[in-house]
Amino acid sequence: MTRYVFRGLGARKLRTALTALAVVLGVAMISGTYVLTDTIDKAFSDVFQTASQGVDVSVTGAKPAGFGSDQTSPPIDESLLPKVQAVDGVRVAEAGVFQQVSIRNKKGDSIGAGGAPNFISSNSNPPFNAFRYVEGAPPRTADQTALDQKTADDEGFKVGDKVTVVGLPGAKTYTVSGVAKFGTESSLAGASVAITTLPEAQRMAGYQGKVDSISVAGDDGVGPTELKTRVADALRGDAVTVRTGKEEADRQANDLQDQLSFLQTGLLVFAGIAVFVGAFVIYNTFSITVAQRTRELALLRTLGATRRQVLRSIVLEALVVGFGAAVIGLLGGLLIAQGLQALFKAVGADLPDTGSVIKSRTIIVALVVGTVVTVIASLAPALRSTRIAPVVALREGLVEQRRGGRIRTIIAVLLAVLGVALLLIGLFGNTSGGSAAALMGLGALVVFLAVAMLSPILVRPLAALVGRPLQAVFGITGRLARENTLRNPGRTAVTASALMIGVALVAFVAIFAAGLRGSIDKSVDGTFPSGNLIVVNQDGFTPISEQAATAVRDVPGVDNVAAVRFASAKVQGDTGTTPVIGIDTGAATSLYKADWKDGSAATLGQLGDDGVVVDSNSGVGKGKKVGDKLVLTTPTGEQVTYTIKGLLDAGDFSLLGGGIVVPNDRLSRDFNVKGDAFIFVDFADGANPAQTRAAVDKTLATRFPNAESQTRNEFKDSQNAQLTPLLVLIYVLLALSVLVSLFGIVNTLALSTYERTRELGMMRAIGTSRRQVRSIVRQESVITSLIGAVLGVVLGVLFALLISRPLADEGFTLTFPILTLILLLVLAALFGVLAAIGPARRAARLDVLKALAYE
Amino acid sequence: MTDIVSATDLRRRYGDGEAAVDALDGVTVGFPRGAYTAIMGASGSGKSTLMHCLAGLDSPTGGTVVIDGVELGPLSDAKLTELRRDKVGFIFQAFNLLPVLTAEENLILPLTLAGQKPDDGWVEQLIQTVGLGDRRTHRPSELSGGQQQRVAVARALVHKPAVVFADEPTGNLDSKASAEVLNLLRQAVDEFGQTVVMVTHDPDAAAVADRLIELADGRIVRDEAVVAAAR
Repeated sequence: MTRYVFRGLGARKLRTALTALAVVLGVAMISGTYVLTDTIDKAFSDVFQTASQGVDVSVTGAKPAGFGSDQTSPPIDESLLPKVQAVDGVRVAEAGVFQQVSIRNKKGDSIGAGGAPNFISSNSNPPFNAFRYVEGAPPRTADQTALDQKTADDEGFKVGDKVTVVGLPGAKTYTVSGVAKFGTESSLAGASVAITTLPEAQRMAGYQGKVDSISVAGDDGVGPTELKTRVADALRGDAVTVRTGKEEADRQANDLQDQLSFLQTGLLVFAGIAVFVGAFVIYNTFSITVAQRTRELALLRTLGATRRQVLRSIVLEALVVGFGAAVIGLLGGLLIAQGLQALFKAVGADLPDTGSVIKSRTIIVALVVGTVVTVIASLAPALRSTRIAPVVALREGLVEQRRGGRIRTIIAVLLAVLGVALLLIGLFGNTSGGSAAALMGLGALVVFLAVAMLSPILVRPLAALVGRPLQAVFGITGRLARENTLRNPGRTAVTASALMIGVALVAFVAIFAAGLRGSIDKSVDGTFPSGNLIVVNQDGFTPISEQAATAVRDVPGVDNVAAVRFASAKVQGDTGTTPVIGIDTGAATSLYKADWKDGSAATLGQLGDDGVVVDSNSGVGKGKKVGDKLVLTTPTGEQVTYTIKGLLDAGDFSLLGGGIVVPNDRLSRDFNVKGDAFIFVDFADGANPAQTRAAVDKTLATRFPNAESQTRNEFKDSQNAQLTPLLVLIYVLLALSVLVSLFGIVNTLALSTYERTRELGMMRAIGTSRRQVRSIVRQESVITSLIGAVLGVVLGVLFALLISRPLADEGFTLTFPILTLILLLVLAALFGVLAAIGPARRAARLDVLKALAYE
Repeated sequence: MTDIVSATDLRRRYGDGEAAVDALDGVTVGFPRGAYTAIMGASGSGKSTLMHCLAGLDSPTGGTVVIDGVELGPLSDAKLTELRRDKVGFIFQAFNLLPVLTAEENLILPLTLAGQKPDDGWVEQLIQTVGLGDRRTHRPSELSGGQQQRVAVARALVHKPAVVFADEPTGNLDSKASAEVLNLLRQAVDEFGQTVVMVTHDPDAAAVADRLIELADGRIVRDEAVVAAAR
């Protein structure tokens, strides 16, 4: 029996290969994701190890409880340094600063083009120095800086050259004093670093009397653990965390892992979708081959094979195909990981050359998923094969089994109800972010299954809907194509369903993105401060110097400016963190726009020393009233009590909505947030807008080159443009699932035309041209694709309607990108044409005589 | 009388070297317009190969075939297809109809494929002749084997081809249905002046023809008129 299975697979190489491909892609994505994230993880662990060389103990600011790994540790007071130096057993202790800045290349642009970050680092001395100078010397004065080797090489900086760095106080030009390697690498995982003296780094980071860390090396004979205890004892009462050098490197690696796990989960979700679609293809292929081999299997039964043996032969076939595909997928994953790494390199995030990391977990998961999914998908067809009666072998013609249509429909409807219920629980239930998303994902999965099971009923009307226009245009070939898709509605349905999944997700994302864009536009128009210009950082998210606002206010023609800052806080009695929105008080408050539930724009001017405004529409503001107190922990560990002075009626999509509104001076004091996210600029009446803007731009270019001014429309465009890379990434990942369903269509077409060999021979004999044969197969494919696409678009619209419901309160408005959806249908039709190329050619090339003699 | 279909020194060799088989070994034959010819012979005698070569389904390794003044040899596949569509009618042993089309749609299929409008009067006459007036909207699966084959006969006639080739048309039918199909072919010759070439191994079927050709080892071994009394 085993030999029979292998012979059979060998005899049907192309079909076996196409079936296997359906699994290969999904498995490749799984293993690729693991290899990629493991490799990044290893690369950065190495960076952190290098950074902690020579460090026995590290002191950093204690991150208050409740803040996630994306919140950096707060700075610590430099007055702690003498305290640490006085500890018995401390040989050397040194304070350090490491903060994000913008380093300008010789053309005046930010290095790394927004991909790889730029940092300023205080210079350190042996034994701590992770930087090894290959040229020149470390910076000695406040006007000198050293650069990492990669930056110096890529941007053509030599010792003695001038380089401009933009920090929190604005731009400053330094003389390059030296070029350094980081450990043995030419850069710090692709980032650009400017090394300056400690006081200069503090100034550029906006730290007055503060540092990021204190590194400690102990006397001989004092171990790191012992030293850690002594330092911790000496700093008891200060808001610091004391770790050994190794613990500090591990913590940084763990923080990174936390952030990577988001990327990992995201990529695995898309891999899972591809695997799910692949399961449809496998189920369908096995169903068709079992049906086609009915006679052969029945013959085996008459020769004495038991049901169990027949079942085993099909499952064994699935096992072999699945395992083989999993192995190929695993290897393919290495290629995918390398491709993604090349992509990272292209956007400037150069990872150290650690080589791909392949953990045994990667291998096990890839092999198990590939094999198990294939076997499970083949179980139903395998069980069906056992029901073939031996007598069929002796009967004429192919016996099509009609299976319990009503039971199937009932199960499908129950599944649909279950799926929608899961979606609703995920949406409206009291579950946290992660499990809510999981519930919704599971719900969508179940809905897909339900629709796939229902679709045999839907195939006839849908085939008529999309097939009739084809018939009108192409006549008899269109007619035959439509009828061919209806010969076996179940087969067409499953084939179309595989495509439906990809299309539904693409449609959903497209609708959601359109909604997001519309909501951003609406939010900018309706809730952003009035004014003529918006000043933002060129990278779109890093804060800009608070002095920029002052400088812009002094530009002739500018009447007033209003800045907005962002921070987060942990509210007592609340899980997670709440967004904090900083505003300028004084004359600026008249510029801010908001819908009020209790209070008015004047309220913003009367917040005083502890007053805040909260959004009654979301999160912490729900159910609050004026006069209530809020106890907050800020990221610096400060505990503050604020009084609610007003309530907004806004939502997350409103600038001031979604959290707590606090004056900027208090954000600077309590939250250590010293940079502005946006500066809104209002021109004076009668000022020439073009001249005033030119004057603003000139001020920015000379003193704050990382900032730029935008008009309201330019701002909307740039905000929308920030969505584009993410959308492209999602579409590319979903395209892989769509590709899997392409194999499904090719497979079904190939098997269906193969079944009709004799009929095709007859048609060719009586004068059907090759063109006409090709046209029939092509249109069959297009009809199948369009059925999937129509189902997919409808499901995508339904998902979008459902999932946007809870966001409506936040100001999210659903818009349907009709053109995009139509384009999706057109693409699906083209996709059908593409899938038909091979099968159509094969059908047209049939030797008429052989086809007629074919049994 | 000119021959509507003729073959000259037709040869068809399969394989090469020692394993080569000459299915046709120099056959010269002509089929006059309006004649009903039966081709007989044992299995492997070359009768099917002869028909396939005459109909442009197989390409001979030597000799020429001319249908209605057109020599098949130099024609491309597209031209051959066109010729089959316009000048040849086919009746096969089985799998003759498209299951997805109705009886009437199957009947007019050669015209539909050519993008021509059927002559309603002619189609009506054919439907009445084959006796399927009440079944025209039925699908093949709803027809008996005999009825299906009668539709196939009508389809072979619908575009008024130069010649109808029938390959064992009664092979799958019971005797009553066989008789009906053979009568239809006879009627086509007598009433419509149709040229029919039929390959069969059934002497009773061959007896309906005007002329009997027998093949053995790729050569014609007998070519004689069928005596009217025998019909």
